[in-house]
Amino acid sequence: MPPPKTVSIRFRPGDAVRVLDLGLAGHVRTPAYVRGRTGRIVGFVGCFLNPEALSVGNTSGPMVPLYRVAFEMRALWPEFDRNEADRLYLEVYEHWLAPATASDADPKRRESDHA
Amino acid sequence: MRGYHDIGGKDAGPIDLTELPWQHWEKQVEAIRNLLGDATRRVMSLDELRLGFESFGEDKYRRYSFYRRRLEAMIDTLEKKGLLTRAEVEAEFEAVRARWRPACRGD
Repeated sequence: MPPPKTVSIRFRPGDAVRVLDLGLAGHVRTPAYVRGRTGRIVGFVGCFLNPEALSVGNTSGPMVPLYRVAFEMRALWPEFDRNEADRLYLEVYEHWLAPATASDADPKRRESDHA
Repeated sequence: MRGYHDIGGKDAGPIDLTELPWQHWEKQVEAIRNLLGDATRRVMSLDELRLGFESFGEDKYRRYSFYRRRLEAMIDTLEKKGLLTRAEVEAEFEAVRARWRPACRGD
């Protein structure tokens, strides 16, 4: 087996990220409820074969970085009224993430994502 | 693009918290799945299995239990890879049933 290629890591802990909606058919590991929402990187988990490729029998790579992302509950469920400190932690592959911009925090934008 | 299995955040009513014991056949399904997906065999990955039950139809998905979904998707995937046919599996089920039936009747 050839030595693994070096994978560059795009995000660091603390980075604000927006989850993309890639519109992919087939097997994906990014649930619908988190797409279009903004969270914060809390850790780098490692590099893994992409499950989207594995699901169709492609085991040849490349490896993709996986991050643990924390979401404020209200970013996911606008009606949430419990502990403000609660977070939802989800592991998300790098190609589903983009740097968050200021407009990502605008609640009106979140509403339009629901439509 | 939201699959029928992707139910996180949808209204679903109260959650049934009944503890279900693991059936022996369910453990066998999981054991076989692990062997097919391990690093030396790589016959079928867990993600291939997941794509199987996420695409075999919502009706089956809702009707089947967790391990039945896995079993059915495993048979579909192995058949697609040309490793066995569903007819062979059904014939084997029947042969095993026939072996056990007399004992179960207490003959």
